[in-house]
Amino acid sequence: MIGLSHYLIISGILFAIGLVGVLRRKNLLMLFFATEIMLNAANVAFAAVSNYYHDLTGQMFAFFIIAVAASEVAVGLGLLIVLYKKFGTLDLDDLASMKG
Amino acid sequence: MVEYLYFVISLLSVLGGASLLLLLTHREGDDLYRLNHISVLFLVVALFAALMQWNLGTRGYLLEGLFGKVLYIDDFALLFDTMFITGTIMTLLINTEYFANRRYFNGEYFALILFSLFGMMLLAHSHELVTAFIALEIASLSVYALVGYHKNNLVSIEAMMKYFTLGSIGGILFLLGSVIIFAATGSTELGAIAQYTHKGSADLTPVIIGATFIMIAVMFKIGAVPFHAWVLDVYEGAPFPVTMFMASTFKIAIFAIALRLYIVDFVPMHGTWTHLLELMAALTMLGGSWLAITQKSLKRMLAGSSIVHSGYMLIAITSIGLGSNIAASAIIFYLIAYFVSSVGAFGILSFISATSRKELTYDDFKGFSERRPYMAAMMAVFMLSLAGFPSTIGFLGKFYIFTAAIESGEFFLAGLGIAMAFVSVYYYFKLIAMIYFYPNKEPQKELVFNSSTLLIILLAAVVVLGGMGSGLIPYMPSADGFIDIATAAVGALGTPLR
Repeated sequence: MIGLSHYLIISGILFAIGLVGVLRRKNLLMLFFATEIMLNAANVAFAAVSNYYHDLTGQMFAFFIIAVAASEVAVGLGLLIVLYKKFGTLDLDDLASMKG
Repeated sequence: MVEYLYFVISLLSVLGGASLLLLLTHREGDDLYRLNHISVLFLVVALFAALMQWNLGTRGYLLEGLFGKVLYIDDFALLFDTMFITGTIMTLLINTEYFANRRYFNGEYFALILFSLFGMMLLAHSHELVTAFIALEIASLSVYALVGYHKNNLVSIEAMMKYFTLGSIGGILFLLGSVIIFAATGSTELGAIAQYTHKGSADLTPVIIGATFIMIAVMFKIGAVPFHAWVLDVYEGAPFPVTMFMASTFKIAIFAIALRLYIVDFVPMHGTWTHLLELMAALTMLGGSWLAITQKSLKRMLAGSSIVHSGYMLIAITSIGLGSNIAASAIIFYLIAYFVSSVGAFGILSFISATSRKELTYDDFKGFSERRPYMAAMMAVFMLSLAGFPSTIGFLGKFYIFTAAIESGEFFLAGLGIAMAFVSVYYYFKLIAMIYFYPNKEPQKELVFNSSTLLIILLAAVVVLGGMGSGLIPYMPSADGFIDIATAAVGALGTPLR
């Protein structure tokens, strides 16, 4: 029988994958992917908890979070296009110029 | 239904203004002055609507039939509304010249600022964690776009990239904390969470884990030291009006939800965070001072010093956790004091940089008192207030924070805070010394007097008035008035259920 804890473990694994991606990835596009994975980990947890309490609000939150994630991607992809036009690369090591 | 609309006039006015400005925007050839006036008009309506309801003892859910228990109105939220709207009006009016002299500004700038303001006001009113997350994202996403507004400037884009990646992680941590609290308590509504945490019998461990994630997200947003890496670069890269907006208005926004959570909902868990908060307050003050001392650019110096101010507020948060009675009103008073002084300081900087392209450093202010004597005097007032010099509002802010710290037995933090206030004298008074004690090298420019200068004078007057007792000048609200405001706002949060 699959219960709440299984879903929460899945969510935790997704979150960990996303976190490792944010910390390790050098490509900005991959870094944005990783943040999306983390947001979706929260979605899975919200839906699972809402099912556990027989309360639909959590599943409704998941929709709101999807909308927020989409608008974040809209801003993020705009940023990526500008960055690529200016620098010709999306590698984080080549992008940093401000120091101190 | 209709009679409840009275309470949401300010929110609706800002949202309506933002949407209208979005419709009025074209790619090329916007009349920026006209758009600026339209946005200020909407903001003034919102400001009056917020002020009308102040101190009437209004408490209750906003539009409960429509949204349920997600939005709340009380004096606490109204105080933050007033500060956000005032900050935005100042940002728009003081920088009239700045964007008129820059080709990259167009009408979307005003729409983005108003949407960001709407997000912040929603954050102050939100009484539910996911609503708070969405409000935070509305505000943050607009600010990300504003930071990268100068899209042909590499520094500006880089600042946006850094802010976007770190800020979205902060948002996700907030969301993760909300999920954990939802799983533990079965609700994300603040009232229900408060009932759960004050029950006494409940196991609080999962709530503590979730609440810690939320606290980390808050620390990210205020730039407390382990999470401060973005602050200096972002403040430097952003266009000046945006830096001013972020440093003064957006910085205090996160406190609206953080204080609501910390003073009401997380009371039984305060003990778990005491040592963590003590450590972070000490590190934030030390690290921020170090960063501020080593800078040559004034924008970066003020960014560093804003980290130090976060450190002082963390002292007050620690004292709240230790049961100090005045710490909560002390932190609100400090927020007001910091808000007024930083709006003024950044306002003068962006007013000066409106006509020149170069980055402002200490050296650019040599002989400033000869070129612009009145502006120089006001810059000195704001610097004195930020440093916490007596007879300014900044002094009283620090005084209350340290009193609260001593009241709660935090002698080490109070001592460190006072030491750091002395250190801050170095980097603030260096600017005053540059202004007054060096000969003027640049040619005398014509003194302009317009709405920007008038507003800056007004802010300087508030800074000085806020540092004086009411007895000195009859019929003028001064320091005691601000303290009453802070106490009323904290009182509106209500005594936690015990």
